[in-house]
Amino acid sequence: MLLQLKNIFKWVNTGGQRIFLLKDINLEVEEGEFISIMGPSGSGKSTLLNVIGMLDTFDEGEYHFLDESVHTLKEKYRSNLYKEYIGFVFQSYHLLDDLTVAENLEMPLLYKKVKGSERKALVADILDRFNIVGKKDLFPSQLSGGQQQLVGVARALIASPKLILADEPTGNLNSQQSEEIMELFKKLNKENGVTIIQVTHSEKNAAYGSRIINLLDGRKV
Amino acid sequence: MFKNHIKVAWRNLWANPLFSIINVLGLSLGMAIALVLYLFIGHELSFDNLYKGESNVYRILLNTDGDSFSQETWAGAPNALAPAMKTDIPNIKYTARILKHGFGTNANVKVGNNIFLEKELYWADADIFDLLKVEIVLGNRSDINAPNSVALSQKTAKQYFGNTEAIGKTIEIDNRQKMEVVAIYKDMPKNSSYKFNVIASPKATYAKNLYWSNASYETLVQFNTNISVPEVERQIQQLVDKNVEKENQWFSFSLQPLERIHLYSAEYSDSYAARLGDIQEIKNLSLLAILILVIACINYMNLTTARSQKRSKEVGINKTLGAVKRTLVVRFYIETALITLIAMIIGVVLAVLALPWFNYLSNQELDPSLLLEPMSFLAFLVIWAVTTLVAGSYPALYLSGFSPKSAFSPSYKQGGTAILVRKGLVVVQFAASAILIVGILIIYQQIRFIGNQNLGFEPDNIVVVSVAGINSQTGLDEIAQEFKGLGQVTDVALAQGFPGTGVSLNTLFKDREDRKGLDIQTNVSDPEVLDVLGLRLLAGTTLPKNKQENDTLIEVVLNKTAVDYLGYTPEEAINKKVFINREVRIVGVVDDFNFTSLHTPIGAYAFTNNDTEYKGYALVRFGNYSPDFLNQLERTFKAVDPETVFDYSFLDKNIEKLYEREQRTIRVGLIFCGLAILVACLGLFGLAAFMAEQRKKEIGIRKVLGASIFNVFKMLSTDFVKLVVLALAIAFPIAYWLSNRWLQEFAYHIEIYWWVFALTGLVALAITLFTISFQAIKAARSNPVKSLRTE
Ligand SMILES: Nc1ncnc2c1ncn2[C@@H]1O[C@H](COP(=O)(O)OP(=O)(O)OP(=O)(O)O)[C@@H](O)[C@H]1O
Ligand SMILES: [Mg+2]
Repeated sequence: MLLQLKNIFKWVNTGGQRIFLLKDINLEVEEGEFISIMGPSGSGKSTLLNVIGMLDTFDEGEYHFLDESVHTLKEKYRSNLYKEYIGFVFQSYHLLDDLTVAENLEMPLLYKKVKGSERKALVADILDRFNIVGKKDLFPSQLSGGQQQLVGVARALIASPKLILADEPTGNLNSQQSEEIMELFKKLNKENGVTIIQVTHSEKNAAYGSRIINLLDGRKV
Repeated sequence: MFKNHIKVAWRNLWANPLFSIINVLGLSLGMAIALVLYLFIGHELSFDNLYKGESNVYRILLNTDGDSFSQETWAGAPNALAPAMKTDIPNIKYTARILKHGFGTNANVKVGNNIFLEKELYWADADIFDLLKVEIVLGNRSDINAPNSVALSQKTAKQYFGNTEAIGKTIEIDNRQKMEVVAIYKDMPKNSSYKFNVIASPKATYAKNLYWSNASYETLVQFNTNISVPEVERQIQQLVDKNVEKENQWFSFSLQPLERIHLYSAEYSDSYAARLGDIQEIKNLSLLAILILVIACINYMNLTTARSQKRSKEVGINKTLGAVKRTLVVRFYIETALITLIAMIIGVVLAVLALPWFNYLSNQELDPSLLLEPMSFLAFLVIWAVTTLVAGSYPALYLSGFSPKSAFSPSYKQGGTAILVRKGLVVVQFAASAILIVGILIIYQQIRFIGNQNLGFEPDNIVVVSVAGINSQTGLDEIAQEFKGLGQVTDVALAQGFPGTGVSLNTLFKDREDRKGLDIQTNVSDPEVLDVLGLRLLAGTTLPKNKQENDTLIEVVLNKTAVDYLGYTPEEAINKKVFINREVRIVGVVDDFNFTSLHTPIGAYAFTNNDTEYKGYALVRFGNYSPDFLNQLERTFKAVDPETVFDYSFLDKNIEKLYEREQRTIRVGLIFCGLAILVACLGLFGLAAFMAEQRKKEIGIRKVLGASIFNVFKMLSTDFVKLVVLALAIAFPIAYWLSNRWLQEFAYHIEIYWWVFALTGLVALAITLFTISFQAIKAARSNPVKSLRTE
């Protein structure tokens, strides 16, 4: 089992009132799964994804990732765990504007303190795999949305994570571009065994996954 | 609408308390400094206000011809000049000569059984009362003309006589002259350059014998009507030609308007004006005040526009709701005006609190109640308005210029030039601070250097006792003898002067053929003076001990510089006869020593046993200092001369006084340096906040990609370190050049060491990292989910 959420609660206090963002979430994810999270706007999809990605904390419950209990881990260990095993893909790509495609790809490796020669090799490798060698010296603003998201996915993958978390990865793309990205996910999942959890509004995209989780008002339905 | 503006401005102020506090604090500091300097400058400019509009009162300046003396301007003139002018030059209403007692020393005033040490006793012609509008409150103006009459200020009369009637009483000056008090005058105002406590009639002293050779008399002249200055200067020259042979004319004269005396006399030697200012200092300080205020305004702009991301949305919304640019400009100005008003109020409080401190450090007597005068309120208003206009301009125009579209666009990012301007401003601020730090370090080292400099004599453990009150040779011999008898005392010498004070200036000639001559200071002294001062004898002996009554030959001990001029080795010089006023015989040669300040190179110096001058000081060298030592000295002194105040000083302290100006520069400089750095740090803080805001999204992404807190901190700091390094690169050559120029004022000065720059660099970097760490850590710790969610 890759990860397990047990009775997760998350809330914020505003004006003396407690508002629940996540309510009693239980979830088990096996390695190699491809899961889609769906639900209306404001139902807590992004919040759940961020909790799984350890970007956000929760207030109650247990979270086990591989053999570690995330809820008891210190910040430093948590970030090591996360650097090692998780990659993120965003709706608005979130590439660094001032860096070229190659430099964007290299960034996670820098923070993981991968050696220079190995970095070069990994970047060259992924550029090749994604067929974007010709774009390596361009800046994000010189790419189309689909190409940017391609780079976004490549960046999430470069450190070979076990788990990819994607928050509406095709939200800003047209249908043809969407399809390309979804095909890519499918291939990664099938051929490389990468576990994928995506948030999506589209039934069509959700169908690429092996399982769908529906959220409503922070609760699994 | 206006009320609404104020309401929104007030809310914005509270929306971000930290920004607001920094903003207000920076401006308050700038304003407080501006206000203190306003008081200082106002006070300086008010000097001799009493004489404003009296355009026809002048002081006579003497310009040496640069031949027998080096070229200088003196405030004193010969005592023969004033009477000659009065008879020969038409249109003169009043003339007055002023001589400070004993050519610039303290007077011993005996009143009944009490003895007072009077520091401000002047011998001056009675016209001085009309010239300087000194108001007589008791007694008759006409009585002052009489010889041996004296006038006292009200305060001094009170000090001498308490509440008893002073008029008609007798006081005795230096146990020599009995003078009758004939008038009491109103104390001279605080802002008068001249401060006379006692004005004594010179009728029985210098007014009796007129000379053209001794220029110690400050001379004031008032004309009936406006004059042409060059015309009068020509007339004075004619007068000089008539009275002085061409070859003895080592001087010429010029006129200085009375109202310029206070601020424009810093370069002239030997003025008796007790309170002189310096126009250069005023200009420098004004510039500094404006600079600090401008920096504070720049910080305000930086901090305000740093929140532009947030404000741009507000502007965009307002514009889509139909606000025109002008309304928005007005709105931002009102916000600025509100903040500057608060800053002004705090600034006034700060100024009042800081004033005693400023007074103490700069030797001023500024009164905080001056801030409550109507003129001050006008100043507040002007400073407030100008600050608002300057500080508000950039935010108002810049922010209100946002178009609704760019303000809403998610990828909106501030233009490159605006960032460049910000960075440029911070670089300039930091460069200025670095120059100040280097300057302070250099001044400090130089002062230390002077303190440790081998002066060529040993100034420690010497007490100088004034014995000017003792009139007889037997009295002088007795006191020297008594002092020598004290346990701790190792040597005693009577002398006309001592290093650090002026003695007599003469000219040294090798022989009758020598046309050139060399300036030489002559000091009439006892033979023991060499031992007391610890001077090194290079050849020969000290002055002969016992001089025969009828021995008219004068002996001298010269210093090395004097002997070098003569072209002798020290050994050759012994027993040679040379001319200083008259023929003298060289008996000894001492190594050079610094008898004036280290500003000037060592000149020629002679100890002589001529009796032309009076030996007014006993120089007492002692072994160990015990607290009781001064008491013993005083008791001994009183036993010999009960009529005189025991007036003493320590020689090393006197020497420190020579560098008072530098000490003051250090103190005032340190404060301004500290304040400038503080204000620059506020600017840095603002820029850090701005950059963190600008890069919020980027930081979020990097954190998602695995950046640690330290990674982010390093990333943000590197940018600033680069800016500071650039600022240092600009500052160091300038600082080097300025310091070097300042050091050239000293004949003996330090080298500029590289570590001064290294230290400054380290301090600047440490301050930078400390200042930005708050923002950097805050940004680094922020939750990336928040910064990435917005879209
Ligand atoms: N820090 C917070 N404080 C208050 N409310 C929050 C906070 N974070 C999230 N919320 C609220 O929690 C709810 C869930 O937000 P979330 O972003 O997870 O929704 P979502 O399902 O991703 O919606 P969408 O499909 O629009 O992206 C929303 O109503 C949001 O306003
Ligand atoms: Mg969402």
